[in-house]
Amino acid sequence: MTINNPESGKQGAAFEMDERGPVVFGPVHEPFERPAEKMVEGPLYMETEEVIPELAPLASAEEQKDEARKALSMNLDRRDFLKLFSATAVASSAACVRRPAEKAIPYVNQPVDFVPSVANNYATTCGECAAGCGLVVKTKEGRPVKVEGNPEHPISQGGTCTLGQAALQGLYHPERRKSPLLKRGNRSDLISWDDTYEMLAKDFAGKKVGILTNGSTGHRHQFYREWLKAIGSSDSRLYTYESNALYAAIAQAHSLAFGFEALPRVDLRQAKTIVGIGSDFLDVGVSPVFFAKNFSEARNLKSGSMVRLVQFETAMTITGGRADERHVIAPNAELVTLLLLMKALTERADVKGSANTKAIAKKILAANDAVTLGGYEAVGVDKAVFEALATEMIKNQSVVFAGGSHSFDDQATALQMAAIVVNELIGAYGSALMLDRGWMISPVKPGDLKRFAQEASGLDALLIIDSNPAFTLPASFGFSEAVAKIPVVVSMQTQPVETDDLAKYVLPVNHSLESWGDEQPAAGFWSARQPAVLATTDSRQAEDVLLWIAAHMKRSMPYSDYRAYIRERWKAVAALVDAKGEFDNFFNAVLRRGFVGKLTTRGNDSMRDVTGSVKAAKLPSAGTLRLLAPLDVRLNDGRGANKPVLQEVGDAMTTITWDSWVAMNPQTAKKMGLRRNDMLKVESATGTVQAALYPLPGVHPDAVIIHRGNGHAKHVSKISGENGVNPLALFAKATDSATGMPVTSGATVKVASTGKIFQLAAMQKHNDLANRRDIVKKLSVSEAAQKMMKRQNLDEVPDLYPAMYNTVDYRWGLSVDLTKCTGCGACQVACAQENNIPQVGREQINLGREMHWVRLDRYFEGDTNNPQVSIQPMMCQQCSHAPCEAVCPVFATVHDPEGINSMTYNRCIGTRYCANACPYKVRRFNWWTHRWNMIGDRLQDRNLRALNPDVTVRTRGVMEKCNFCFQRIRDAKHVAKVQDRKVMDGEVRTACEQVCPSDAIVFGNLKDPNSRVAQLRADGRSYLALGGDPEMKEYGLKTLPNVSYVSHVSHREGFSDSLHSEHGAHGTDAQQDSHGKSEEHKGH
Amino acid sequence: MIRKLVTLFVLLVAVGLTAGSNEARAWWMWTPGDTVDDVGYKPTQPIPFSHSLHAGKREIPCEYCHSAARRAASAGIPPMNTCMGCHKVVATDKEPIKWLTEKYNKNEPVEWVKVHDLPEYARFSHKPHVKAGVECQSCHGNVQNMAVVEQVAPLQMGWCIGCHKEKGASIDCITCHY
Repeated sequence: MTINNPESGKQGAAFEMDERGPVVFGPVHEPFERPAEKMVEGPLYMETEEVIPELAPLASAEEQKDEARKALSMNLDRRDFLKLFSATAVASSAACVRRPAEKAIPYVNQPVDFVPSVANNYATTCGECAAGCGLVVKTKEGRPVKVEGNPEHPISQGGTCTLGQAALQGLYHPERRKSPLLKRGNRSDLISWDDTYEMLAKDFAGKKVGILTNGSTGHRHQFYREWLKAIGSSDSRLYTYESNALYAAIAQAHSLAFGFEALPRVDLRQAKTIVGIGSDFLDVGVSPVFFAKNFSEARNLKSGSMVRLVQFETAMTITGGRADERHVIAPNAELVTLLLLMKALTERADVKGSANTKAIAKKILAANDAVTLGGYEAVGVDKAVFEALATEMIKNQSVVFAGGSHSFDDQATALQMAAIVVNELIGAYGSALMLDRGWMISPVKPGDLKRFAQEASGLDALLIIDSNPAFTLPASFGFSEAVAKIPVVVSMQTQPVETDDLAKYVLPVNHSLESWGDEQPAAGFWSARQPAVLATTDSRQAEDVLLWIAAHMKRSMPYSDYRAYIRERWKAVAALVDAKGEFDNFFNAVLRRGFVGKLTTRGNDSMRDVTGSVKAAKLPSAGTLRLLAPLDVRLNDGRGANKPVLQEVGDAMTTITWDSWVAMNPQTAKKMGLRRNDMLKVESATGTVQAALYPLPGVHPDAVIIHRGNGHAKHVSKISGENGVNPLALFAKATDSATGMPVTSGATVKVASTGKIFQLAAMQKHNDLANRRDIVKKLSVSEAAQKMMKRQNLDEVPDLYPAMYNTVDYRWGLSVDLTKCTGCGACQVACAQENNIPQVGREQINLGREMHWVRLDRYFEGDTNNPQVSIQPMMCQQCSHAPCEAVCPVFATVHDPEGINSMTYNRCIGTRYCANACPYKVRRFNWWTHRWNMIGDRLQDRNLRALNPDVTVRTRGVMEKCNFCFQRIRDAKHVAKVQDRKVMDGEVRTACEQVCPSDAIVFGNLKDPNSRVAQLRADGRSYLALGGDPEMKEYGLKTLPNVSYVSHVSHREGFSDSLHSEHGAHGTDAQQDSHGKSEEHKGH
Repeated sequence: MIRKLVTLFVLLVAVGLTAGSNEARAWWMWTPGDTVDDVGYKPTQPIPFSHSLHAGKREIPCEYCHSAARRAASAGIPPMNTCMGCHKVVATDKEPIKWLTEKYNKNEPVEWVKVHDLPEYARFSHKPHVKAGVECQSCHGNVQNMAVVEQVAPLQMGWCIGCHKEKGASIDCITCHY
């Protein structure tokens, strides 16, 4: 292995050579390695300024008067208050001899299946987005304390996304409204529910009432239609809307092509090559957990499948970060790119697909002759790339995913249409895409928004249920203006939103964890929703409110409540799945399991002539900056913005928390003289927003990216109010004509510096491991295949310490697969929920005081225009020889015989020696007693009901870190002990393992050679972080962690070579060029 | 600010010494918020429920009422329907039972005062101890002879560890502190 050591040549005699280069650390016969003489220069960089130093923020005294610092100084009062408060707390506790007597209050009538301090679990369906993932809600003493994926559920397969994991913070959100609100002029009065029903019944009598609601695949929309009919309105006045416009575009395209409004279900195990054209299927997509699970299975080298992902994109997405081959294309060039690919495919004689499809493809290409001829340059990808890809796509089973929230322009449905044609040409339908069996149901009716825009002026009353169009639609769409003309507007929301401002009535409705309902994510597959807890505030289920209104109008529907309605509808489901016997037994069994289903099939349709929908594709014009506004993976369209845990996860690529940022290509930023953290003014014809710059490698030079999700109105939430900006303000009125969905990509913008600096709360450099070569290891597929054949013992390290783990039954270990990890951040949210980890707010994060027990390190490698991305979850490595243990003066952190580096909070005196000693930088110090979640000067109560009672809540001055969810180990051990057996593999699942939508994390007993984790640790691909290179007899720090990583395996050309040679020496000319530049900047 | 800190320090040291002095343990074992030895703690309960009558004279097994002990971390104060299971017919003329019945009919729980109260950072589970055959009496004393339950064991860490060492159970910090 070559290490960038300039001296290595001169000291030739000191180094042995092997086939991979000079051996820098000691010859083989020496039992212990020599210490490194120089810090090893690694190929990884975390920030752009490591390769382009000009982009580093300035630090002169003058420039330090930035806004962030002003914000800090303004908060001194609160800090004094905090200090004083903590001091009094200590004094008062010290003064009393005995803690105040605690009461023990038993149930009056204890439920039969309840045992105090034992969790009850309820299966339900997630309501955070329209994907319909199955959940298991863990309740303790009747209150939900943790949301987990339902492992049997075929959609989520045990995983959840960040949003689903954070559902509890929504449930217990202190800002949820406590009572209905009636607004008259400037006044707003709290009213009772009875008055609400009475007044609304009067308002609705004989009027044209409409409902605007979010997407759902279950019986909810059908109920609304029945209700509208029952009260004398028309059932056509139901308008469904999801800000994730991909649902509408895909459903519309399939409706036009096959006359069948649905989304194809995917089975990526069938594919060898996935081509993404501006796709975000791993970020938000249509069903992020289902796709991630699918993708993870398709990338399981162990089972012999290693799908290749080729991504063409403008932004730097999570999906692009996973790509084996990534091409940067011009903004809004997705359709042209896809047409070029279609052209390359049709030019081959062996292309698949029916004659009909081929004829359609030819016609489409003929209609777009102008763009396909000269498109290569405009798109920015060579013809040879498409030709090679076409060959591969026909040879291997392949599938194309097109479109995403960052590429949704006025050609979005045309793009989906072209994707259908291409997928037909490569024979994807019937293998990787399924439209004939168990297809996915579209949660929205495409075209509903268009219909709403046309019909809104004719409505007398409008109910807006669980949707926030006033925020998620661009102002230019004219939603507020249209709604202002409607006399009675009722906003029914689980949390305060901007849309409430437009309403006369604001009604608090139940959170999905308090509601009855169902979803049908795939045809014939039904997922039930049942309340895990009674309503925590004085809210009602939206559907029950409608039933009450109907009753007050003397137009009752024959159901006592929505549960009764669902029960009635489920009789049809029971018939569908051929359930025998009593219906009640069936219904209860479904509620217990969470879902039921039967594969539904239909005939294949031949494709209709869709040439009319894909004509006159526009070539992107180069040189103008274009704004892309993708949905944020964590905050989605803004529905997650009021949950501190989501704000604090950090974006996968930038690691920015709390703020909005402007992502631009580093080279473009450099040309414009802009630096990181420069406050920018982004201006379009319709508006201006200000946000700080983050130069992000991999973004197209013409692209300006601001994520949606932040920028809420001040009064909406203390958490999200006036935090960040909403990029939708910059979009002029434009819609995709087929669906009526607003365009969120491609607005022409001007970018200029405001001269101010704003410190973005990015976490990446807080815990710096870069410049080490043994953090992230990468392998090409062929190398990995070789290594897999070899078994290894990572614990065989020459050592002076006595052998460990000989006398115990368990040695707990964790394995993280870097090939599978996408960086979605679900593990961080799960960890925070399970272990009562506080959120600290952007101020504290800027001081480097985030509390994540597992952090996601993101490393770039190679060209700043198109880097390779590696994401590494870094949690406590539970070192067998832990540097932190040796330095603790009070033995607060010691080694458990079963391998856990334990942390005794009540013993810790807060010297922070251990955090200094930790080479992995995973220890977190409580600088405050986090009684509050903080953002700036705004305090938000930390809701005690949401705390996990099994985990101690830490106070100020105490160090904490990952302990492998020890409470779960202990519970499992107690269960096993009572049953006189050992804990079995898979019985203990840490929160991060349980939640992972990619199955990247495996936990288990390393003493059991057959456990999954022991198998993975013995796999030749695995390595220990900072564990050197055992093959070279070089053992790094010899901390001997119980966490092992499976190397990042990729099909990428020369992927692993970059570790062994100067990075960038392989690859294209462009890469070499930019590499040359970056070398100069390093100034070595 | 300095004056405030000095006051605090003096206060802490003073309390530390007081707490340490009446105990046969080193001063550094004391941490703020920790209980000092509570042996003999005998709070008055809302009704004079007598364990000596129920568990002693009537010989009702402990786990008849505290049925969660073998299943869960918490032994569980029995819910009122357990009480009423017998007291619908037994001793219905006694004042405390009348009070209890009235509460039960109004669907109001009895607010018992917790006797054995561990600090929040120490985690104890009844389940493995019951499984290992540890008698209830070894920690709770001869409850069957107590008219009013009082704490007999110090419930301090040293006391826990003493038994754990004797029985060969784990004495790792993380066994109880996590």
